[in-house]
Amino acid sequence: MDKTKILVVDDNPTIRRGLSVRLRANGFEVLFAEDAISATAALVTERPDLVILDLGLPAGDGFVVMERLHRNDRLANIPVIVLTGRELAGNRDRALQAGAAAFFQKPVEDDTLLFAIRKALDVSRGELRFDD
Amino acid sequence: MTEPTRRTTELTAYLSHELRNALACIHQFGNILVDGLAGELTGEQREYLGIMLENASKIRRVLDSALDGNDGPPKELANKNERVSKLET
Repeated sequence: MDKTKILVVDDNPTIRRGLSVRLRANGFEVLFAEDAISATAALVTERPDLVILDLGLPAGDGFVVMERLHRNDRLANIPVIVLTGRELAGNRDRALQAGAAAFFQKPVEDDTLLFAIRKALDVSRGELRFDD
Repeated sequence: MTEPTRRTTELTAYLSHELRNALACIHQFGNILVDGLAGELTGEQREYLGIMLENASKIRRVLDSALDGNDGPPKELANKNERVSKLET
């Protein structure tokens, strides 16, 4: 069986590296993108099972990535977890309204992030509803 | 938006982004070490990392409170402010 593929979109290479160590240790395959353009390209070519998305990105922010994702019928069901250094005001509600499955500020507890990932994957696979 | 308000908003956004990313790196790699994902640690190394992570958590609580207004000031700061207020009266 193929490993679950997670696309980590963050312009900070240290954050990407730390997330990859944690996610790989939990059995996930990890792909990376460092800006909005490469994130959009990776979504189309790799079709990940889930995206961990920073909001502050070069070449268009995380909201642009979510908008592109949700405009594409083939990609619209891929769950997005926002993990950002941005402040709550004006970002959390906007991200959730834009379709994010969860919103976390950095730093997030590993258990919290892994729980949200597994839940979002279950929901996208139809094994769970969001309100379960 | 007035100029001082705009500058405060920009400063808050800048501090949030820079400090949270730096703190996330400390938090991520500290926990990677504690959880043994980069090899076994001695008891002493584990203890020191625990101190480091505990203090990183304190900084996070201060950030949450100062930049996002979550749950009021951290307890230790609230107590400190209370002591300062008492001294001043």
